[in-house]
Amino acid sequence: MRREARGVMEDGARLMERVRARDGAAFERLYDSYHRLVFGVALRMLGDATMAEDLTQSVFLKVWSSPDAFRDGNFGAWIARVARNRALDVLRSRSLRDESEIPTDLAEPSVLDDTVFTRINSEHVRRALSALPDEQRSPIEMGFFGGITHEEIAKRTGIPLGTIKTRIRTGLRKLRVELDGAVSR
Amino acid sequence: MNGAPEHDAMLDLVAVAALGSLPADELRIVTLHLATCAECRAEYDLLRPATDAIGLIAEEPIDTLRSARMKKRVLAAIAPAAGARRGSSAAGLVWSASLVAAAAVVFALVSTVQDIRLRSDLANAQRTSAQLQTRVAETQQTNENERDMLADLFAGNAKRYAVPNGEVIARGSHVYFALRTLPTLPKGKVYQAWTLAKGAKAVAPSVTFTPNGSGSAVVELPANATSLAAVALSVEPEGGSKAPTSKPTFIQPLS
Repeated sequence: MRREARGVMEDGARLMERVRARDGAAFERLYDSYHRLVFGVALRMLGDATMAEDLTQSVFLKVWSSPDAFRDGNFGAWIARVARNRALDVLRSRSLRDESEIPTDLAEPSVLDDTVFTRINSEHVRRALSALPDEQRSPIEMGFFGGITHEEIAKRTGIPLGTIKTRIRTGLRKLRVELDGAVSR
Repeated sequence: MNGAPEHDAMLDLVAVAALGSLPADELRIVTLHLATCAECRAEYDLLRPATDAIGLIAEEPIDTLRSARMKKRVLAAIAPAAGARRGSSAAGLVWSASLVAAAAVVFALVSTVQDIRLRSDLANAQRTSAQLQTRVAETQQTNENERDMLADLFAGNAKRYAVPNGEVIARGSHVYFALRTLPTLPKGKVYQAWTLAKGAKAVAPSVTFTPNGSGSAVVELPANATSLAAVALSVEPEGGSKAPTSKPTFIQPLS
């Protein structure tokens, strides 16, 4: 099966300015740049390529119909979070899992004005995550991409809940420091 | 900061909330706490950008057939609105392809679904599919409403007014009470919010509510914040009153 190579991500924030002006060509470029990311988040969380395809479509249609939902910052990080939240909705509404296992997320901010955000890319994040000890990286990735609560992480790993929470916090703090360092270099 | 072990435990929960891995009931507790604790809000603001960045590593190569099909579907869906700017040839191609695909589906259905049992199965599947789509849409709407509220509560440009036991938070046309450690009321009593419209001489009754077991409540007032001069809170009989019957817990002007 032929696969598309990883794409170069165009500046989503700039393209979104044109999408707001109903520029279909800009939307197409936005889609070309970011659909693998949205599909990837959905596939990791739902574990089903057809559902991931549907979710990708719904996320981009939402971007087209409500372009003001994103105003500034790192478009890739924003749309990945949107995809994650939609995937949580799908898991919940289709009863694909026990409701108690599925977390609820806070808001998707329309403005991501943190300086880390605007300049970060996937390689920065991969390197920053790989700098974390496995005992911290693993619960963070399970929490983000597994679509499960901290209690479920504790249950699946057999590690006490208090330890999981502390490892998540310690790991996220280190991740933040690593990302700050990556963009200031 | 109070330095208590309970507060360290809350900071751990704030980190899990930033990751987006708390169940709804614990998220509500953290949300109430964040509305009134500057230290925890700072921790959340520090960690949330780091967790948002995690999504960037998810990009997956997609097989070319699937990728082409996905793109066709998305562009076809926006074609009516985008057509004028995209140029007629590209949009026309998309629409033509979609029409051909649709015609193929119709032909396949007509030619293969020949017995009543199959038709019945198909109708059932369509009903089930429609019900599932409705449930997905309803769940998304509920979650979007909740996220909108949370976005208002944590927005940097929200106006925050300190009141006894918490804050009044106004952002755009929305106004909220985010309250903690409210005294437990005797049976038959509830808290009631009041609004004073700009230029009005008397307050108007707003929502009634009962805090949770730890005395916390986040309540959105069903009023346009931009038209209000002040809000207030009082204790009233269950069911609410048309005019305050007790001394207000607070009266807060909205500047």
